Amino acid sequence: MEATRYFEDIGVGEVFRTPGRTVTEADLVRFAGISGDHEALDQTRGEPGLPPTVPDTLVVVITSGLGFRTPVPQAQVLAFMVLEWRFLAPVRLGDTVHCRLQVTAKRGLKEGGVLVEKREIVNQRGEVVQEGEYKLLVARRPQT
Amino acid sequence: MTGDDRQYFEEIQVGDEYLSPGRTVTEADIVAFAGLSGDYNVLHTDAEFMRTSIFGERIAHGLLGLAIQSGLGMRAMPRPLATMAFLGVRWRFKGPIKIGDTIKVRIKVVDKRETSKPDRGIVVLQRVIVNQRGEVVQEGETDIMVERRQ
Repeated sequence: MEATRYFEDIGVGEVFRTPGRTVTEADLVRFAGISGDHEALDQTRGEPGLPPTVPDTLVVVITSGLGFRTPVPQAQVLAFMVLEWRFLAPVRLGDTVHCRLQVTAKRGLKEGGVLVEKREIVNQRGEVVQEGEYKLLVARRPQT
Repeated sequence: MTGDDRQYFEEIQVGDEYLSPGRTVTEADIVAFAGLSGDYNVLHTDAEFMRTSIFGERIAHGLLGLAIQSGLGMRAMPRPLATMAFLGVRWRFKGPIKIGDTIKVRIKVVDKRETSKPDRGIVVLQRVIVNQRGEVVQEGETDIMVERRQ
């Protein structure tokens, strides 16, 4: 079985659930280093008695990679075209998030094709904390 | 409140503009971002494969650009907004960011609107990432919920 799929293999309406990923202090610190956003490193800001929140963009980053770990491989991505995203609830250190991913549209181009994926980020309590759409340029099956 | 130099909703003006310092995107950033995100797509990690591609070399993850501009944006604004929450983002990845490119972000307040709650309003920021050749590589809008003074 191939380790990747192509535009032609993708069915509109397919729904996938990714594995979960626990958001850790290490993720927070690494994200601060990469982004230069050091505000979140002060864990005392925010509501007392609750674990500190993490930057919303950090959650977008770590859940982007979860899309590669669906039980059936997704299409080979050539480019990320558009992100439309809504932040519905905070994510805190120690939360575990997974992604529900559904292809809602596909459109063929001469070179490759465009996929629209609706994605929901769900925490350990089943709450949708973030959601939106990825519009991706993906590869067509190579001609052999 | 002493020490609170944040910009509250009333003070923010449509048309306010900021420009960040530049930041050179390095191979280290891309490698670190692959590790953090779990996105090891060959676009970002296989130099040999990318030699034969239209880009000719590895490119940065699109979301690495978004992450870097979030930090650059904070450096662009001497007085941060009195942010209560990040509501959403609409973002377009227009061109590749390559290793060695230097990017800056230009931020402009393009809309502000009151909400039904008197203690908060919504501010929309347009953000444009340009490289050292002045090319727009990414752009979009972020919607921020900002505190209003009562």
